[in-house]
Amino acid sequence: MAPIVGIDLGTTNSLVAYMDRGIPRIIPDPDSGPLVPSVISVDEQDAVLVGRAGLERLVVDPHSTVFSVKRLMGRGIEDARQEIELFHFPITSDSQQVIRLKLRSQVFTPPEVSAHILQRLKLNAEKFFGEPVNQAVITVPAYFNDAQRQATKDAGRIAGLGVVRLVNEPTAASLAYGLDKRKQGLVAVYDLGGGTFDISILKLKDGIFEVVSTNGDTHLGGDDVDARMIALVIATLKQQTGVDWSDHDQAVQLIRRAVIEAKHQLTDQQAASIAFALPDAKRTRVEIPMTRPEFENLVRPLIERTLPPVRQALADAKLQPGELDEVVLVGGATRMPMVRHLVEEIFGKIPHTELNPDQVVALGAAVQADILAGGTQDMLLLDVTPLSLGIETLGGAVAKILLRNSTIPASATQMFTTLVDGQTSVDIHVVQGERELVKDCRSLGRFKLRVPPLPAGMPRIEVRFLIDANGILNVTARDVRTGTQQSVDVRPSYGLTDAEVEKMLLESFAHAEEDLSERLAIDARHEAEIVIHATEKALAGPAATAISSDECLRIETALNELKRVLPSDSHELIRRKTNELNQATQHLAALIMDSTVKQALEGKKLEDVK
Amino acid sequence: MPLTSDQDYFSAFGLTRRMSLDPADLEKRFYSLSRKLHPDNFYRASKEEQESSLEQSARLNDAYRTLRDPFARAEYLLTLEGHQVEKKGSGVPPELLEEVFEWREWLAELRASASAQTESAHRVEVQQELSSAKTKLGQRLETSLAELQALFLRWDHVLDAGGSPPEREIVLAEIGKVLAKRSYLQNLVNEVSEPLEG
Repeated sequence: MAPIVGIDLGTTNSLVAYMDRGIPRIIPDPDSGPLVPSVISVDEQDAVLVGRAGLERLVVDPHSTVFSVKRLMGRGIEDARQEIELFHFPITSDSQQVIRLKLRSQVFTPPEVSAHILQRLKLNAEKFFGEPVNQAVITVPAYFNDAQRQATKDAGRIAGLGVVRLVNEPTAASLAYGLDKRKQGLVAVYDLGGGTFDISILKLKDGIFEVVSTNGDTHLGGDDVDARMIALVIATLKQQTGVDWSDHDQAVQLIRRAVIEAKHQLTDQQAASIAFALPDAKRTRVEIPMTRPEFENLVRPLIERTLPPVRQALADAKLQPGELDEVVLVGGATRMPMVRHLVEEIFGKIPHTELNPDQVVALGAAVQADILAGGTQDMLLLDVTPLSLGIETLGGAVAKILLRNSTIPASATQMFTTLVDGQTSVDIHVVQGERELVKDCRSLGRFKLRVPPLPAGMPRIEVRFLIDANGILNVTARDVRTGTQQSVDVRPSYGLTDAEVEKMLLESFAHAEEDLSERLAIDARHEAEIVIHATEKALAGPAATAISSDECLRIETALNELKRVLPSDSHELIRRKTNELNQATQHLAALIMDSTVKQALEGKKLEDVK
Repeated sequence: MPLTSDQDYFSAFGLTRRMSLDPADLEKRFYSLSRKLHPDNFYRASKEEQESSLEQSARLNDAYRTLRDPFARAEYLLTLEGHQVEKKGSGVPPELLEEVFEWREWLAELRASASAQTESAHRVEVQQELSSAKTKLGQRLETSLAELQALFLRWDHVLDAGGSPPEREIVLAEIGKVLAKRSYLQNLVNEVSEPLEG
């Protein structure tokens, strides 16, 4: 059985990893190595390009290319106003619905875009293992709310991946760092990624990873740094040449590429220049120099926005910054020297950066996958819910029923009754957030409780709110008088219904698995044909006279066996028979070591023969 | 040893209703039960076992959350022992009445003066006053914790001696008073912590 993989579905890049005998490893992408750019693009033929190929189209075809879609997951259009300004692709939706992106003739919801990225990672893993991969642990920002988590799970389903667990990114990172089970003490994980910021404080003791508190900002990351730099470049151009490029999408993407490059250079250098050619008739070269202090002044306000969440997490954990034993940095944006200094200043410690900040989350996801598969034992993660759960009461106020930082799974029960005689249903509105009024919290969903018609106040319906180990809410209700259970269908405020997910699945990926096994069989057949050809050639050659008739018979038997199974759809069977033939011809191959067929018969060097 | 919903939180941890809990011991019990019950251990098990693990693990976490916090633990004990907790809004505890009144008045004046003045120096001053008030109230909250812990010892003593229901009720009533007082102090802390308008 193929292992459960660990996936970091990031704002900028995504990765897939697995556990190789106790050591987590990344499975690389053929185009882009360990990191797969979280970009999809629809080309002129309406084909969907994912990863590096998608990213390359961002400049030439910005209107048909989506990046940073994670910022739109589980959100309504009103809610994502600020993010939408970063994008060029057309966004459509009614105010209460899931956002829809129009790329050429195709329409995508954010979970579908993510599903394409997940499918790419799934295929990479399948090629790597040579068998279907159907299960994954996927990471999400710790501060993701219920709707954002649900949307991530939907994306997995659409991609044909069973999401066996959602793990919070900073916690996953701590698992990768904490593989050494002797690690004890209090650890802070500061995770600044492409689009989200998380801070988590954990207590490590005898293999238990207990999250004490978590906080964050799901609108803050490297993307915002880029946006500030782009705005500066556009303003500079306008001032110097009088031309405003802000509505020229291709220009904006060229500038984006240039500022990202300059940003990366400023990590190691004191100065860099933002260099690019404008898409005008003369392809005018632009070079805007920037020193590190200038860069830091520009982005300092963004980085300082991580401070209030850090303070809140410390306060919730009832800890002073100096009490932490270790601090870990996660996320590409923590490469900025300014971030390192800030973290050092807050905690009075040099933060850990031994593990690659782009990869550590995926590595941790692989560890959690291995824990679930029963491979890694005596490590246990106890995570928390990042936001308080509440229900709407009279006057639009919120009654909190589960407080933030409660260890999950967690549950709370509430009793409901009626206000009017004969009332047959009670509407319940569930929200998430810390504020006192419904309008300041995030609406998770609404549901109707069915109530038997009785005098007001008589019915007693007990509702149980349970947040599972994924941080996702489940609701069940029971009539206390009769003991009858009723199923509760929470209609997500900005989510997809099961039926919608099902439809997307059928439309886009219904045959993905069949396709895969077919492809694997084609590959196996191709390899087998090469071996058959080489064997036949060897048997007809001079070396064949040097072997015994017994050996010759064995080879011929294996050869015929392989020919017999060649039309089979089972890549496993074809591969087994190919291996048997390779075994049988080993001696013959040794005999003709110097001959020209050497490469072909060794079997292992098939790549060169092809 | 499965956790069932008819079990109280104390017996879920194999404890009696003694209120002076050693946090380290409670944590040890919590970790060891978590290792047994957490859904991670049941990923490869049957659907029924998975559901039961989710239920039990949620209940374990609910129990730990309640028992580890002395105030939540005290409230839970009152419910468990059938002690009638006074309804919220039934009035400020008499010994706090005057103090709460004075705090409220002071706060209202302070906020009014802050919003009347736009000068930032003045606002900083007000902010400082608020934060020193918060510290003072924080100390009062500390005191209420000490009071509660003293009552926990009394309760344990009564429990160990096999005290009669009326004897128990006396201590429970005292615990109830401390909780009510604390809830008012906490409200004041929240009010002081609210940011200034404007």
